[in-house]
Amino acid sequence: MKVIFRTTESFLESVRTDLIRPHPFAHERVGFITVRAAQGADHLVVLAQDYHPLADGEYLRDRSVGAMMGQEAIRKALDLALLNPVGIFHIHMHTLPGRRLWFSHIDLREQQRFVPDFFKVRPNMPHGAIVLSPQSAAGLAWLGPTEIVPIAEFNFVGTQIKIVRSSGDGSTDFYV
Amino acid sequence: MTDDRDFTRQSFLGPNSEQILAGARAVIAGLGGGGSHIAQQLAHVGVGNIRLIDPQSIDKSNLNRLVGATADDVKCSTPKVAIARRTILGIRPWIEVKAEQRKWQEVDHLIRDAHVLFGCVDGYQQRDYLEGAARRFGIPYIDIGMDVTEVAYGVFAVAGQMIMTRPGCPCMRCLGFLTADRLAREENRYGDAGINPQVVWTNGMLASLAVGAFIKLLTPWFSVNDHYTWLELDGNSQTISASRQPDYTARFASCPHHGGKDGVGDPFFALPSRSR
Repeated sequence: MKVIFRTTESFLESVRTDLIRPHPFAHERVGFITVRAAQGADHLVVLAQDYHPLADGEYLRDRSVGAMMGQEAIRKALDLALLNPVGIFHIHMHTLPGRRLWFSHIDLREQQRFVPDFFKVRPNMPHGAIVLSPQSAAGLAWLGPTEIVPIAEFNFVGTQIKIVRSSGDGSTDFYV
Repeated sequence: MTDDRDFTRQSFLGPNSEQILAGARAVIAGLGGGGSHIAQQLAHVGVGNIRLIDPQSIDKSNLNRLVGATADDVKCSTPKVAIARRTILGIRPWIEVKAEQRKWQEVDHLIRDAHVLFGCVDGYQQRDYLEGAARRFGIPYIDIGMDVTEVAYGVFAVAGQMIMTRPGCPCMRCLGFLTADRLAREENRYGDAGINPQVVWTNGMLASLAVGAFIKLLTPWFSVNDHYTWLELDGNSQTISASRQPDYTARFASCPHHGGKDGVGDPFFALPSRSR
């Protein structure tokens, strides 16, 4: 099943603005986006609903990674999915320019640890992880605890509709 | 490059405009006088995936304006979506066309993963519902409509509008186009609508404005920072101008209609059980 992640450009800009704020000790910020979904003719559409940034105190001191979430942050995200009919997508941003936009090995390892847990509280919704660049996005969607697919297409709806398509491995152009 | 893949005459739309349009998915709800024009134009500009929805078949009274229709279609009562499909594929056979002779509410999966929804329907209520669907699935909505009013005995005023709205910005209710009064008057007229006059040239003008709005949304041709577009056509003087109606309408900081943040997605959505 091909997945589209769709949001307004203004929503995405507000997320980017939050994620680039400096943190007292973490090298980057992270957050969660709640989503709704709809099955289209050819694609599963994931629609961004709201953004939930981590509070400053919810980061752990860990110099080996850009940002490490504490248990309280993950518990809050699980609560969001438990109490609302929403999927949860972890989100962070890569600002150092590259040719392709994709997760780091550490990102991929850590996602595997916490994303499947969202199915314990909201099994009927897609969950996942997204990485932003200043212009683009790439990501993975979990359609089940072990069923992971790259997000095939991002739609950013603003004055113009920006359609970003990923290659087979899920990566996208860093600049589009 | 095949013979039907030469887009040099519209290359000013931007360096990747051919690929952008070929990768776009557009839905047209209503394939009458306006929608049939839009279908034809989307095929010409090279939109790669066009979805057509209309429950009706052609009637002899449609032949004055339905682009692509023939006398044989009237004899055979050809579905309007079949006529539009034939027109599109006659222009560019590689376009993927999905056509449903149903009410749009019965096939809204065609809308959900599209990029833009064109509404070419009669009546304010249907427009309201269609715009609601576009909001729910996070896509821009482009509406066209025309009306002919007898302003004095034997004197007719032809007028129409093209409105483009998009998620996160004012909707047609916010702009003052859809009002409680208009919706109520239409509801009270139900069953007594009479003949709805339509003519091909006015339909064509409005359809062209709609396709222009679509191209602006998709390609980098003409960058504008509008939160909406509302163009009014005076069919008698054949002039088009930006509507001033929104200037006289109380504005909301954000659109309070269509459910807000909770109004997105399919409220009954559930992943297939095989995935869990």
